[in-house]
Order: sequence, then structure tokens, then C-alpha cells
Amino acid sequence: VTDAPVGASPPKRVPGAMPTTVVGSYSVPSWLERLKTDFHRDRISGARLDEVHDVVIKAAVKDQEQVGIDIISDGELRRDNEVDYILERLGGVELLAPKTYYYDYYEAVVRSPLPEPGEGEGLGLVEQFRFVDGLSDRPITVSLAGPFSLSRRLINEAYRSESDLVMALAHTLHAEAEALAAAGATYLQIDEPFLAGYPEAVDLAVRAVNAVTDGVDVHWAVHVCYGNHYARPAWEGHYDFLFPAVLDARIDELKLEFARKGYDDLELFSRNASDLQIGVGVIDVKNQQVETEAVIEARLTQAVKLLGAERLAVNPDCGLRNLPGVVARAKLAAMTRATAAVRAEVWGAPLEDGRPGEADRGR
Amino acid sequence: VLVDLRLSKNAAERSKDGALAATSAVVRALADGSVDASSVRVECDWIQYRNNFREPIALRQVLGRRRRGTEVAIDLRQLEKLDADAALSSLLASDPVGVVHLEPWLPLSESCIWRFNALYWSELALWEEVSGKGYEQALPGGASGGTDTDANRDLILGLFKVWDGLAQRRSLPEQLTVLELGVGNGNQARTWLERFVRIDHEMGTDYYRRLHYLMGDYSKHVLDLARANVSEFLDRTSTLALDAARPSDTLRFLEKKVFFVYISNVYDNLPTDEIVCLDDELYRVEVRAFLPASRVASLASRLGSKADISDLVAKLLKFGPTLLAETSEPFSDPVDAGRFWQEVWSGLRLEERYVPLGALDLYRVCEGVSAELIDPCVDGFGDVRFHMSNGAAASFVDTLPLLHPLGSLVCHDLFVTDLDQYRVGFRGPGKYEGSVVNWVNGPVLAAIASRFGYHATFDAMEHGSNRRIVTMTARSRD
Repeated sequence: VTDAPVGASPPKRVPGAMPTTVVGSYSVPSWLERLKTDFHRDRISGARLDEVHDVVIKAAVKDQEQVGIDIISDGELRRDNEVDYILERLGGVELLAPKTYYYDYYEAVVRSPLPEPGEGEGLGLVEQFRFVDGLSDRPITVSLAGPFSLSRRLINEAYRSESDLVMALAHTLHAEAEALAAAGATYLQIDEPFLAGYPEAVDLAVRAVNAVTDGVDVHWAVHVCYGNHYARPAWEGHYDFLFPAVLDARIDELKLEFARKGYDDLELFSRNASDLQIGVGVIDVKNQQVETEAVIEARLTQAVKLLGAERLAVNPDCGLRNLPGVVARAKLAAMTRATAAVRAEVWGAPLEDGRPGEADRGR
Repeated sequence: VLVDLRLSKNAAERSKDGALAATSAVVRALADGSVDASSVRVECDWIQYRNNFREPIALRQVLGRRRRGTEVAIDLRQLEKLDADAALSSLLASDPVGVVHLEPWLPLSESCIWRFNALYWSELALWEEVSGKGYEQALPGGASGGTDTDANRDLILGLFKVWDGLAQRRSLPEQLTVLELGVGNGNQARTWLERFVRIDHEMGTDYYRRLHYLMGDYSKHVLDLARANVSEFLDRTSTLALDAARPSDTLRFLEKKVFFVYISNVYDNLPTDEIVCLDDELYRVEVRAFLPASRVASLASRLGSKADISDLVAKLLKFGPTLLAETSEPFSDPVDAGRFWQEVWSGLRLEERYVPLGALDLYRVCEGVSAELIDPCVDGFGDVRFHMSNGAAASFVDTLPLLHPLGSLVCHDLFVTDLDQYRVGFRGPGKYEGSVVNWVNGPVLAAIASRFGYHATFDAMEHGSNRRIVTMTARSRD
């Protein structure tokens, strides 16, 4: 972060029922991709790239505000991807080779135990949160790659078992989460995009999630999808593997992928007694076709019937990183308009100035 | 005049004397002072294909922002038959007379040679009738694939492992789709299916019952031949005529459903641009197809002096030989029009010039991929001329979405696997019977694969006599 916001963060709006939000990443323009690759090829410095990131994050925030997203993010635009961002900053982790392209993934090995929380410099997320928090009157959600998914990208030479590594990662993330909460963050999210590929590890993943969230008093979401590497899924399956382990997760919300796969699995969350909020994916981020409002309304209405509107949040299936900006904006706009229509249908409240999310504020 | 002679290892082995003689001939030809010798560059190529679109010696204009001049392009392989001094003097002295141009200046990928190529595959039966040769005889080695190999076994076992895992997670689709693009004579499909059935039986997996082997090809004629070759497996096979450069146009319904894609000798037959890097500036090669005066004269003597050769070629490409015969006087029947087609094809040449490529983000390798992607491949690489393999890239990019998340793509083709290979030989375009052949730029496809989340590897083909064939395998990176 090179450009500190002027003045204090603006007072935040309070999202109403069935809030719209994002999973994290925002569209990465091709020119930014090129600059990121230039950075890895030593053509531009990290400082120059940070200046660029500051500017594009302001634009991403503006885009999200304009289409009416209630809880926004910085678009994760500083990150090559959510995993590498953290691996680069973890003490004890050695990156085995530089990248040719920014969208490559690191091969990384952990040769010695991770530093104890407080020993290292942290992951840098606090400073980034402060930057984006100062830009908007909307609450900010910050995502962290989950400990289980991080562990899948690490060759473990430091811990006796994979679960030891996962829990060590969880403790590091916990320290960062505490710092974020202390800095004023109110929405934090743990992303576990690899979990669906290793359903047998769900107990371990939940244990690690609880270690991250332990005592950190914010709205905690966990995002589980079927992978979104380069706009394609990495896994296939069903969300039934989450049960019953996920019922023990000390979190507030599950953000899930449905739009691409269909909504059959929604029933799992109505069948299993739980008060978890469900972030329903209503936008397919692996397809550039922009959903119509009618399609999204139908998806949401189905979810409302099964789970009740009070239990829902509305989001894309996953991050928007792989979509062109114009498509990402159009999809988010369709999502907020459809959500506003469903809110009006459920609560019968008129929309104020046509702004989604306003009608049910304070309910 | 600075003579900067760079003999590649390949040239030194194959044609050092020819290269030195050609260069000396150029210096002698320039010595009379009629041309500014300081703006002349000499490029001697050993072209992979004896039958190609070049004259033995040709001039190319270089229309760069920093560099303007002339390149003397010499095909060393053809030069042996020529008096280089005489040819050069005549070339430098005047513009050629009596040639017929068939198109304006265009990027190579948009040249009419690709319309000839498409015509060949759609009218293959007539071409074969006129030439008396089956298309397979025209291929190097005279056959297309179809050997049962350990590689086949390993691929099938790999598929079974993936399917077993999906079955455990209740995620195995009812239909297990395999796609072959470019089916040749059907031998590959038959041997693969035979091996599949054998392994399925041995392992008691019952996957054959769920298998759907889809054979796609541009040519219906080829598909019919291939279909006859898999007659034992017709209950599990389908054939589809499709454009190999845009398979998803036809196969969108299979998005993320295909577990294995096999492609053989398709990419080398798809349109490509050629890019030249000179003094750190990138140029696109523009071409203009023409018939040399000698070929125009021989065609005119057969068809009559009033025949408008350019117009007849345009009609041939627009309507095909059968309709051409019906609508144009000089031809007695489709076979006669087919002979004209073959004579034109055999005489067809490409004039070339270099124009600046311009901003990389504005140049499309294919849909969704700009030249920015390949910049790291060529940046700092020095002077080189290479294929962009646009058609192959388009086909590849349009095929990847069909792959199941755990699927893989295997492609046998004439891949350049390292850009350095372009320094030691130029690899197309060449002429086969009626069709165009180019080597395929592997590093470009590897970069594209990487961008779309796949890892592409290249290995020498494990069997067969044709060691030029390389196997590209693309799988999910993570």
C-alpha cells in the first residue's frame, strides 16, 4: 500500500437482510496481468506495482458500490492468487522457483516450523484492510486462504504430519485475523477451494477453521467451492461431504457454489439442523454469459423457499478474477437487482430510489 | 556494407557452401550500386518442405518504423538448381512480368491458401479421383497413426483410475465421453477401442457400456472411411463433421464432460500467421498469392487465351470444382475442373513483406488470447521468424472447455518444442497434396495452456517411423 486514505474511515452502512456480497476477487484487467508478469520478470518494482494496485482497488471499490453490493472487498487485486499471496509471506516457506507469468502457482516447501505468531512481519492484510476500509461507507470483507488449502500447496518437510502443518498454518492465520479485527474488520472469510477435492479431510479442515476463528469476534464466513483455477472447476462432487463436520464449525456463514452446479445440494442445508447463514452462489463465475435477473430471481426464490430469506446472503459462486471487467460488473448488477426484487417479494417493502439493499435496512 | 554472416549449425552441416555462395551472389548483385546495399538483409532458409510456396529467391519489403529496406530470401534447398547470379540480377533489375495475383496483401492466416486447404478437405473424393492417390499416400510415411502402444494402455488405465475415484464420490457421469479430432483412416480409434475393451474386460469395470467415442473431422469423406474401420464398435461411436478450429461450436453440449481428447495431425493443417522479430521489433508477415508467369502461360494455352485465370480461381474457391465445371466454359466436367485446381495449386506462390505487428494487446492470437501472452517467450530472443499457430491456438483454446476437470488432451503433431528450433530451419508452410502443412509452435500453445490452467508437456512420439511427430499432453496444472 503506497497511498494512505485521507482521514478516518467513513461510517459504515449496516447491511439489511439477505445482503449481497462478493466472494473476494474482482476482475483482473489484461493490462494489470501484464504488469504483474512484468513484476515477476523484474521489469517493474514492487513499489511501482503497488501504486498500480492502489488505483485499481479504488476502481474496484467504486464498481462494487455502483452496482449496489452491500459488503464489498478490495477485489484481492494485490494478490496473484489467494494461496501464493500468503505463501510468499510465510516465514519458513521456501519458494522453489520464480514465476514466468503472474498466474503461475508457486511450488513451495516448508523446511522449518513456521514462526510463532508475533515473531514475523505478519501477512500484510491489516494495512491492506485499512486502505480499502477508508475508501467506502460499505463494510469490507477480507478473505484468507484457509489452512487446509494452503497446506495442499506446500511440500511438508517441517512437520511430522499433514495435520500438524495445517494446524500450524491455522495459528498463523489466527494471529492475522486477530490483528484484522483489532483494526476494525467486521467481516472475515476463510477460503477452502481445495477441500472439495479432499472430502475425507473435512474434520481436519473444520478443526483448523475453528483455530483460526477462535476468539475473533467478527462475522466469520467460510467459502467452499469446487475450485476456480483459471475459470474452471478443479473438482466434482456434492456438498454432503461437509456434514456432519461443518456443524461443529464456529463460524457464522457458509458461502457456496451453486449457480454452475445447480441447486440440488441446497436441500442438504435445509435438512441438517443448523443456524448457519448460507451465502448462495447465484452467479456462475466460470461462464461469461451474464445471467438475466429472472434467472437469478428464480435461483434465489428456490433458496428462500428451502431455507427462509433470513438465513440467506447472496453472492457469486466464487471470485470474479477470471471474468472480463464488463462481464463482472454486469453479473454483479444483475445479482443486486434480482436480490432487490426478491427482497421486495418477501418483505413487500418498496425499493427506495431503486437502490437494492435499502428497502430492508434495519430489519 | 556490413556483412554479418550467421551460419546456424544446421546450415553449416547441410548447406554451408550454398549459403556462402548465395550470400556472395547477393553481394555481387548489389555491387553495381543500383540498390542501397546498407538496407538489404539476406535470409537463407533451409525450408522443411521441398514443395512450398516460395520462389527459390524472392525479395521482401521490410516496412518497419525503424527499419525500412529489403530482405533477399533464399531457399537454399531450391537454389541448387539455379544460377543464383542470373536469378538475383534479374530479380533486382525489374518487377516480375506476367504473374497473376490472386489476392491483395494479407496476413498469412487470411491468405487464399487456406481456402484451397479447406476446399481440399471438402472435395477430397474428387481430388483423389483426379490425382489417382488416396490422401493417406500423400502424408509423410504414408499412413496416419493407429498403432496399439503402451502409451494407449497407460492412458486408458489412467482414465479408469479417474473414473474409479469419481465413482467412489458418486460423481461418475452415466456417459463417459472420449473425443477424437482428426480421425485419419480410423485406425487410431479402432486400436484404442480394442485395447479399451480388453482392459475393461480384464478389470471387470464395465466402463465400455458407458463409453461414448466421438469422432470429429472436417471432412465427411474421411469420417465415412473412418467409420467403416470401427464397425465392431458402432454401438459406442459417433461421427461428427466439425470445424477443428472451433470444436465447441458443435460440441458445446459436452462442456466439461470429455475425459480424453485425442488429436492427431490437425493443428499442422490450420491457418497461421508468421511473425518476424528483427532488431527487437515485431513484424507480421503479409503475403500475396500469385501464379508465376510460366504457370499462367501453361494454363492459358490449355484453357484458351481469353480465360481469366484470376476469375476462374476465385470461382473455384467460391463454388468448388463441380459448380465451376457447370458454370465455366473451359471445363468439360468436374474432373477437368479438378485438373485446373491441381495445376493452380501446384503453381501457387506467396509473395511476402513484413509490416509492423503493432500494439501487442491488439493482435489476437485467437479468441481471448492477445499477443501479450507470447511477449515473454520472444522478448530478448533476438532475430527469429516463427509461426503464431493461430488456428492451432484457436482449436486448443476452444477444446479445453470441453475437458472434464480431471480430463486430459493428447495431441500428435509437428510441434516445434523450443523457439531455438526456428533458428536452424524454417518449417513451413509446405504443400501436401492439395493441403497446407506447417509446424506448430509448441511454446505458444504451452503459454496458452498455462494461462488457462493447464500444463502442456512435449515428448517425442513413442512409436512409429516418423520421428518428427511430437506428443503434446495437456492436463490440469494443479
